[in-house]
Amino acid sequence: MIRVRDLKKHFRVHERSSGIAAALRSVFHRTYTLVPAVDGIDFDIRAGERVGFLGPNGAGKTTTLKVLAGLLHQTSGEVLVEGREPRRREDDFLKSIMLVLGQKQQLLWDLPPSETFELNRAVYGVSRGTYEETVRELTDLLELGDLVRKPTRALSLGERMKCELAAALIHRPRLLFLDEPTIGLDVSMQAVVRDFVKRYNEQHGATIILTSHYMADVERLCPRVVVIDRGKLVYDGSLEELVARVRPEKRVVFRFACAVSLEDVTALGRVVHHDAGETVLAVHKDGVNGVVTRALAEMPVRDMTVENPPLEEVMSELFARQRAVHEAGTR
Amino acid sequence: MSLQYRSDFVLDGFVEVFWMTTALVPLFAVYQFRSTIAGWSFGEALMVMGWFTFLEGILEGAINPSLVSVVEHIRKGTLDFILIKPADAQFLVSTSRFQPWRAINVLTALGFFGWGFRLLGRVPSALDAGAAVVMMVVAIAVLYSLWILTVSAAFYVVRIDNLTYLFSSIFDAARWPISVFHGVIRLVLTFVIPLAVMTTLPAQALLGTLNCRSMAAAVLGAMVALSVSRAVWKLSLARYTSAGG
Amino acid sequence: MSLHNTLRACPAMLRIGLAGAVAYRAELLVWALATTLPLVMLALWTSVAEHAPIGRYGQPQFTAYFLSTFIVRQLTGSWAFWEMNSDIKTGTLGARLLRPVNPLFAYAAENLAAIPLRLVIALPIAVVLLATVGGKCMTRDPVLWGIFGLSVAGAWLLTLLTNLMVGCAAFFLESSIKLMDVYLVFFFVFSGYLIPIDLFPDALRNIVEKLPFRYQLGLPVEVITGAHERTYALNHLALQWVWIAIALLATRSAWRHGLRRFSAFGG
Repeated sequence: MIRVRDLKKHFRVHERSSGIAAALRSVFHRTYTLVPAVDGIDFDIRAGERVGFLGPNGAGKTTTLKVLAGLLHQTSGEVLVEGREPRRREDDFLKSIMLVLGQKQQLLWDLPPSETFELNRAVYGVSRGTYEETVRELTDLLELGDLVRKPTRALSLGERMKCELAAALIHRPRLLFLDEPTIGLDVSMQAVVRDFVKRYNEQHGATIILTSHYMADVERLCPRVVVIDRGKLVYDGSLEELVARVRPEKRVVFRFACAVSLEDVTALGRVVHHDAGETVLAVHKDGVNGVVTRALAEMPVRDMTVENPPLEEVMSELFARQRAVHEAGTR
Repeated sequence: MSLQYRSDFVLDGFVEVFWMTTALVPLFAVYQFRSTIAGWSFGEALMVMGWFTFLEGILEGAINPSLVSVVEHIRKGTLDFILIKPADAQFLVSTSRFQPWRAINVLTALGFFGWGFRLLGRVPSALDAGAAVVMMVVAIAVLYSLWILTVSAAFYVVRIDNLTYLFSSIFDAARWPISVFHGVIRLVLTFVIPLAVMTTLPAQALLGTLNCRSMAAAVLGAMVALSVSRAVWKLSLARYTSAGG
Repeated sequence: MSLHNTLRACPAMLRIGLAGAVAYRAELLVWALATTLPLVMLALWTSVAEHAPIGRYGQPQFTAYFLSTFIVRQLTGSWAFWEMNSDIKTGTLGARLLRPVNPLFAYAAENLAAIPLRLVIALPIAVVLLATVGGKCMTRDPVLWGIFGLSVAGAWLLTLLTNLMVGCAAFFLESSIKLMDVYLVFFFVFSGYLIPIDLFPDALRNIVEKLPFRYQLGLPVEVITGAHERTYALNHLALQWVWIAIALLATRSAWRHGLRRFSAFGG
């Protein structure tokens, strides 16, 4: 569905230093630098996939997203979405996609969301019948109820986000770009949004591309991740494998029936956390079986789970390694 | 910093000169047909125009940008950052931004005065000049008060950019001697939105035609205006902070 | 962004535009009331004509002229420049570009949608106008009324196009607002807003009569106040639409170039 080959996007940025002298100088002469926001990226995405775009700030994720949406023209490289070039902005292309930005909103501010729905219906040419069905479905899935009839400015942030999602899906786009969709939402609302996106993808087969700094989003939604750092593709594959490769350890969480000393626990493996409530050990994935067997035999284990390390740690580790490589290279 | 943008800088100056010229076009246009309009000769009308230009410079150059930022603060909820600073909120808010090119307005105003007096064939007496200075202070005080009142409304009606536009549009009528207007409008523009106090009276002071009673009334009016507007501002601010912003 | 799709979306865009305008009615009222310049000019010029008329303008004629100016300005005024400038500077244009509707049409629709409300403001003034000086200062020729209607539509279109064209400057200049200020200066002086065109000194008038500014305001006002006969009015109506054609081409070109730049740098 999506095919990207050697995508490059460079920006010409003029440098502006501070101070009056510099300001006056800039009136007569400007210096430019070339910033390679995206520097040669290849990937393919099949229809119906859910993919997460990860990377540190300024890595080129949002730039790539915008190029895929046709908002930015690439400096060079091939970009095809369903065989069409996004930058030509053909009607068919525009009607098949949607971009949801967590920080900017598209709902009309002083009018109820239902009016934005109607506007989208007209703009995207959705038939009455399909429209009513879609609205019913979305209202159910997102539990919108009466919210759509209140003016947008009267809604809370969470309610607004739900309506934004609904408005974005009125025309049943086949490709959905989500840029930080859960930012600023409380925990329960984040869960609602995640569940909804997953269910929508399963029911309609829409392709989802997500960028987010909340690892919980990525864990829940993206079996596949593409990691971009400094404009280059660093990893493209399953999330599980990325974790295994970067932090090949598991977290084993114990709850003991009675107090266990720190020394005893340390003998099992590296202790991440130890208190009366629970004990967390970091164990290499190959050693998990051994640790579990020993613990069950020697200690009053009341409850136990084996988890992946927090994704935040995995990503930090990955980026730190990337930085180290980069710095070594530039020395 | 107003110097930062290259094209901005150049265009700014160009536009200021341009606006000055537009101010003169209607003046020339009407006076090409008559030598006196509503009892004012061309030279005398230049006095009013000069005061208008001067006040406009203060309005657009110092008062407007700073007070408009209050609206932004309220809208973005960052007014609290100003409120926690030790200085008086009204003062901080009034002086936060300046537009340097507007200094040209002062020069232009003086130019108008000079031109007018040359046409009249005389210079203002020391007394007249003194009276004019007093009226200048009065005019600035009244203008400022009106502005504070307008911006206090921002606490109640957050979308105020049009109110400032409305203010500027009405203020525009101050280019002309008040005697151009008749009836109800004239009363409104003398007592309610006292444009007359801001430009016509100072012009009369400069020309030596302002009587003591009017001047005293104007000074009194300015003091009342300042206290009323400050009271309204404090009231609005209190409402804002107690309501939790 | 096909024309077909845009046209099909028009009714909904207009209806919702109107709903939006109604939601903003307080603001619109303020904008409308801020059109004080014609009224100030009215006071000024009637003072000038206090003892004797100027040219063909006595006090009644000036009254008719400036009240008509107010009405025409209400009907044709456009703020598309401000919307566009803000959208481009904040990058919100991106959201508009994602839709299969040409943003230029969206701006036009929003503008059109607000006209019914502005008509409500203009109506009382129109009543005052007709009741007071309407009798002797307005034309009674139905053909001229027709030409007036067409010229108002033309004025609306021309003003919108100019707004959009200058709006495209926001793609290239950081201080596009200043450019708009310059344009407004020319508009105020040469459109007949401050001074009726026929009161300009002869040499200047010959040039000003043909400039596009006059066709944004002066022409409809002159026609309705009976300043011209049919032939003259028709000829100048044609000229108005020539200017519109030119503006159309210029706007399209500016938009295309601007969009290319926007897509290179992003929002």
